[in-house]
Amino acid sequence: MSTQSLTLDKHQPGTPPGDMAIWLFIYAELLAFGVFFLSYAFARAHNVELFNESQQHLNRESGAINTVVLITSSYFVVRAVAAIREGLSRQCAHWLSAAIGLGGVFLVIKLFEFHAKFSAGISLSTNTFYMFYLSLTIFHFMHVILGMVILAAVMLKARRGGYTAEHHTGVETGASYWHMVDLLWIILFPLVYVIR
Amino acid sequence: MNNIENQRSRFIRPCTRVWIALLVLTGITYGIGRMELGGAQIVMLVLVITFIKGEMVAGFFMGLRKTSLLWRAIMASWLVIVGGGIAIAYLVGLK
Repeated sequence: MSTQSLTLDKHQPGTPPGDMAIWLFIYAELLAFGVFFLSYAFARAHNVELFNESQQHLNRESGAINTVVLITSSYFVVRAVAAIREGLSRQCAHWLSAAIGLGGVFLVIKLFEFHAKFSAGISLSTNTFYMFYLSLTIFHFMHVILGMVILAAVMLKARRGGYTAEHHTGVETGASYWHMVDLLWIILFPLVYVIR
Repeated sequence: MNNIENQRSRFIRPCTRVWIALLVLTGITYGIGRMELGGAQIVMLVLVITFIKGEMVAGFFMGLRKTSLLWRAIMASWLVIVGGGIAIAYLVGLK
């Protein structure tokens, strides 16, 4: 009895799924991005014309497609968690692979966008708008890469049968981080690409 | 077997509905951007849509809707502060 309680993943009722450490990390990340978002918004308030004019040159379609891509990858991760809760580790690995694949699609689309801007001679020092646009999106880009690395590690373990219906905190932890990456983009897209 | 299938459908159906709703709301936001609509009312609409999307991801995808009030309040507060701050900054920019 005591051995079983030691080996089962402990989840306190009322707490979020996954390891508690990831939630401290998530809230710290949200705080950092929140400051970044508000800095952008108030910088825009003092340079409305510049921001509106510069925003015209962004590829809004790429931003919208990437929103759909990240939301869908988040949905796949939800399905992966649902699968492992039923003890279906192979299905869990498949859903995670699909989510990682969509993460790759996001990166490729973003790289095309960055390439277009850098080819046009745009850099961090072009103007205040592009300083925010590039630093915000590159910062988020790096979080997508980290999220994909985490999901890949979880996926490989799931493929080896390393998680069960009772022991899957790792899947929930990776999932929580990936949803945060999605959540950040859900705010970044309207803020940078739409609001004018 | 039926019990397992019922459990599965109970879990999948809400998250699939949320996913579709998120896509629809993204489509509305994109449409507003494509038409290059601006102004305080439009921006408030965009921010309300963004808040709803954020709450959906936090509640249904991250699983916060089944957690205690404190966890949900932290996330909701973050969304309100960021969204509200963006709204205030937008209104400042109109002056």
